[in-house]
Amino acid sequence: MPSNPPITSPSLAPCGLYVHVPFCETKCGYCDFYSVALKDRNPTPLVDCIGRELRQRVNGCAHAVRTVFFGGGTPTILPLSELARLLNFVYEAVNVRQLEEFTVEANPATVDDEKAELLVSSGVSRVSMGAQSFFRNELATLERLHSPEDIAPSVATLRRHGVGQINLDLIFGIPGQTLETWSQSLSRAIDLGPDHIACYGLTYEPGTRLTAMRRHGRMTPCDEDIEADMFLRTFDTLESAGYRQYEISNYAKPGCECRHNLLYWRNEPYIGVGPSAAGCVDGRRYKNVADVAGYVRLIERDGHAEVDSEIIDTEMLIVELVMMQLRLNEGLSIAVFRERIGVDPRDSFGEALMRLVDLGLVTVSDTHIALTRSGRLVANTVVAELAAVPRQADLALPIL
Amino acid sequence: MPDLSLIRNFSIVAHIDHGKSTLADRILEYTGVVTKREMREQFLDDMDLEREMGITIKANRATCPYPYKGRTYMLNLIDTPGHVDFHYEVSRALAACEGVLVLVDATQGVQAQTVANAFAAIEAGLSIVLVINKIDLPAARPEDIALEAEQVLGLDASHAVFTSGKTGVGMDDLFKAIVEHIPPPNGDPQGALRALIYDAKSDIHRGVICHTRVFDGTFKRGDKIDLMAAGRSFIITEVGKFTPKPGAVESLSAGEVGYFVAGIKTLVDVTIGDTLTLASNPTDRPLPGYQPPQQMVFCDFYPGMGSTTDQLREAMEKLWLNDSSYTYATVGSDALGIGFRCGFLGLLHMRIIQERLEREGNVTVVQTAPTVTYEIKLKDGTVTRIESPSELPDMSNIEEIREPFVNAQLIIPAECVGVVMQLSRERRGRHIKTEYLSPTRVMMTYDLPLCEIIYDFYDKLKSCTKGYGTADYHVRGYDPGDMVKMDILVNGVPVDALSVIVHRDKTLYRGRRLLERLKKQIDRHQFEIPLQAAIGTKVIARETIKAFRKDVTAKCYGGDITRKRKLLDKQKEGKKRMRTVGNVSIPQEAFMSILDPDD
Repeated sequence: MPSNPPITSPSLAPCGLYVHVPFCETKCGYCDFYSVALKDRNPTPLVDCIGRELRQRVNGCAHAVRTVFFGGGTPTILPLSELARLLNFVYEAVNVRQLEEFTVEANPATVDDEKAELLVSSGVSRVSMGAQSFFRNELATLERLHSPEDIAPSVATLRRHGVGQINLDLIFGIPGQTLETWSQSLSRAIDLGPDHIACYGLTYEPGTRLTAMRRHGRMTPCDEDIEADMFLRTFDTLESAGYRQYEISNYAKPGCECRHNLLYWRNEPYIGVGPSAAGCVDGRRYKNVADVAGYVRLIERDGHAEVDSEIIDTEMLIVELVMMQLRLNEGLSIAVFRERIGVDPRDSFGEALMRLVDLGLVTVSDTHIALTRSGRLVANTVVAELAAVPRQADLALPIL
Repeated sequence: MPDLSLIRNFSIVAHIDHGKSTLADRILEYTGVVTKREMREQFLDDMDLEREMGITIKANRATCPYPYKGRTYMLNLIDTPGHVDFHYEVSRALAACEGVLVLVDATQGVQAQTVANAFAAIEAGLSIVLVINKIDLPAARPEDIALEAEQVLGLDASHAVFTSGKTGVGMDDLFKAIVEHIPPPNGDPQGALRALIYDAKSDIHRGVICHTRVFDGTFKRGDKIDLMAAGRSFIITEVGKFTPKPGAVESLSAGEVGYFVAGIKTLVDVTIGDTLTLASNPTDRPLPGYQPPQQMVFCDFYPGMGSTTDQLREAMEKLWLNDSSYTYATVGSDALGIGFRCGFLGLLHMRIIQERLEREGNVTVVQTAPTVTYEIKLKDGTVTRIESPSELPDMSNIEEIREPFVNAQLIIPAECVGVVMQLSRERRGRHIKTEYLSPTRVMMTYDLPLCEIIYDFYDKLKSCTKGYGTADYHVRGYDPGDMVKMDILVNGVPVDALSVIVHRDKTLYRGRRLLERLKKQIDRHQFEIPLQAAIGTKVIARETIKAFRKDVTAKCYGGDITRKRKLLDKQKEGKKRMRTVGNVSIPQEAFMSILDPDD
């Protein structure tokens, strides 16, 4: 794998490839990604269809694919042979040697020696492991199947087979979690020496079992103040352990940032394949049907499974640039904003921006508009403030 | 020419729910002007709202023939509204009468409005027939109640008539009493015409129908008449009487009650209380007329959800043509848009107008908290009246602020004297006197600031007297008070729409309450928001809306972008309905709920 070339190629922007594998052992209560239990299903028809869509999309895209991300669900739950076929589709469609990063999501105790070997030999450079917590009761609350003891051996297996980078996902704000247990989970994760740690505040997504439980009062959410403390503790703990925060929930050792995810946060193009996957190429975003059988049927009949698409107009793009790039510690690139919108964001956000600066939530440098430490805690509000600024940009737009 | 000695003009006054409307129904039925079949329950209350609320708002009327000792008398019933806010309508009706029936419930006894109305009749010099009603009820104590009325009102209990409007018991006694105790009108049918316009209604087909009582002279269709105060002339196109439906007659003469139509287009052209006279032979002695109704309570109406300012304006104009007892003027508020500042006779009046607007005008109305008028004496000696705290001149120019005071009668069970005294003291009331109506019932008279009773005084009185207490008041005038303007600052910035004028002793209490409620209405922001109540530059109360600590989306990847962006769009829409004051977004509802009188 080449080591971290510049993310933008001069000729044409690179592009990411996301592959959604919608199978899990069981569905966790908090999860709002599309997934179904694999159980006795035959994954072969789906894998075939994903392969077909992947080929079409990659071949039809002018951008060169530089990152691949297998997400889910749990891609590693696929039987070895199906996982091999899926990896092979990528190998056939894209120049794996030119990839900057190839990530596969996994859960503890779903990766054995055989699968680890397969991943590495297929060009997978990074595995993202859903560790979530090192406490049994917290994992139970999340309805995770693995136990804390599964995490270290799984990481060891991946390392042993030469997986270059490992990420551990952790969740804070779990009902029943304390600042103390959260700190311990962080320490245990650090002890395993991953290259990257993602720490997500537990989110009550609409339509999930967790949200229903909260609504019916069968579960008490974590106190907002404690959650805020956890967020700050995360930053302090990980920074002092050598992990740099580069996005609201993401920390990495220098150079180990997730290049694929950076594409999202920098509003760069990505192809999505598989049920429920979304892609956005050349100002058009699409979304596939979130149903395995429906996906297979549509791909077989029409060659694609899009059920939704939109053209990103300037107004939408402004909001998306702010919404995504402010998540990054580097912030919103003034140059990129100028290039894509045609105006300086400092002008178009004017007073609202200065107010946020005065409040200590935002800093403005010559190159970037970025959140401060306290601004990061209330990122949504900051984004909402800026998104609500009336479109003076309209007036300033150059006449084409 | 009618025989004046056969005419009796009378009203009925009573406390609310003492059976006035039912008794009026029986009078119409027993004199045969309305058959039982025609009789809608409570025929005289012809507005839906009146029927629903069980109160009479607009005064009504009927001419009823009654044969007695071989002669047929014409009994002119001029119905009156029952509620405290409608004193002025009562006084209009009384000015057209020689006598009045003071109706008292045989189970409840004399109540606050009985007292107020009876005294108004006594002051007007009318003959009074005491009627103890609802004697059919098992708990009726007609003799006791008659004695109570004698004691409180100074009426002769031995002449009291006992009736039941429901069963009709005692109706003959009532008619006899009307004929024998109420004097016939005295007037000169041949004299120069003097007729009082005591009410007027708008009819879409015929224009304005004026209700009139003739004191002297005669007029008929085709006469050219002058409205003396208005200084306008009209030709009479119809003269009639109410039976109780309007029916044309040849003419109306001294002593008679009826109506006329004269091509008057809108109610604006008629002044209630004006004197009607003949253009050919005008009187040089116009009738005293009425004091115009005094609006004492003010609030703002804004269009509510789904209504526009124009729709509300149209509804207000239309209703006003029918009922000019309220005033309105356009006001603009940064927070609430364009609305109307309205003046009312009292709180019930305010509620009724709001309901009529919504019902008859098909608009939704958002109402701000009521406030009273203040008299401001400036250092240069000039005196102005203001209807809103925002009109208050700079304090340094003010010599004194005067607030309206009322004389209030509270009739309560004797065991509640303590709690009512406590309540009145809290409201800055000054005790005038306490009279025992009976061993168990007491009438307390208080001098109270109007602004202290327009909010929830009735409710509080009711709850601390287990529902038995009643109150009535009339505004007696303005007194200087230690009033101050209290500003509300949100994040250090004063918000005009939230300022209130309040007595200095109440500032702490009111300030705290206001801030508590404001705090509930404003969302947490990225920063701490101080809420302050201040008198001038002195902060007297403070609340803090804590900054929210965490508001951040944990995950936002490729598949989430569209949904998250749409969520932001939704928030953006929500923000449009906010007003930003000192960096703080205040929702429209906050202004309303803070002003909500239902504490």
